[in-house]
Amino acid sequence: MKTNRQTKIWILLFILLLCLGALGLVFARSFSLPAVTARISVDGECVKVIDLRAVTLPYEFEISTAHGRNLVRVEHGRIAVIESDCPEQICVRQGYVQESGVPIVCLPHRLVIELEGDE
Amino acid sequence: MSRSKKLVLAAVLAAAALGIYVLESQIPSPLPVPGIKLGLANIITLTAMALLGRKLSCATLALRLLLGSMFTGGFSALLYSAAGGAAAFAVMAGLIGLFPEKRLWVISALAAIAHNAAQLVCAVLVTGTTGLFWYAPALLISAILTGVFTGIAATFLLRALKKN
Repeated sequence: MKTNRQTKIWILLFILLLCLGALGLVFARSFSLPAVTARISVDGECVKVIDLRAVTLPYEFEISTAHGRNLVRVEHGRIAVIESDCPEQICVRQGYVQESGVPIVCLPHRLVIELEGDE
Repeated sequence: MSRSKKLVLAAVLAAAALGIYVLESQIPSPLPVPGIKLGLANIITLTAMALLGRKLSCATLALRLLLGSMFTGGFSALLYSAAGGAAAFAVMAGLIGLFPEKRLWVISALAAIAHNAAQLVCAVLVTGTTGLFWYAPALLISAILTGVFTGIAATFLLRALKKN
């Protein structure tokens, strides 16, 4: 495969972008704090705010909307979606989240669980 | 290529893209990141753009998105597909004249980045949660890798089609 100068420049550019992406992943991790509050929203509206530090016994609750059903489990310091009737199950596969930053999201159900850390 | 031959080709490509799209939707996503996928149907979109020009390839794409959302049972997902598809198409249409066939992977990768970016913005608007932007690095990496792959595949497809 002959690669002339232009092709090499483009290859370099995309390798650079990939590195930026990798850096972004690392950056996200280093910026996250232990989760203090979980804010649950459906369709952009906040439906529940949970103080994760105040949780003593784990409990579960269901969020059922016209879009679908999600079962949320809350434990001390962490939260997860353990059941859902969405097709891809991305929300369930994300598992327990105990740090701020990347939210748990179930896009078909318009459900987002954001975690905030201690300031 | 005559006008009628172009129309037939556009229809055939739309059907091919639809088939690829439906098949690919059966493959579960490997990572728990919303919005990452192989995007194999875009091989067709690029090929159509190179062979048929902007208007017909736009029609092919629109058909695939519309029927695809009907067949995979997610009219609500059509919103995201349309946003991503429009962004990707705009990038492809803008760059198609500027790159030779062997460098289609560049257009494809850039279009894939635009696609994921548009879908991410769309998701942020729909859910009202800017926290979704934390997914941006993963979406960027996925877009580049899948975009390069589909672009190279489109180059091979074009070469095979032009032989006839």
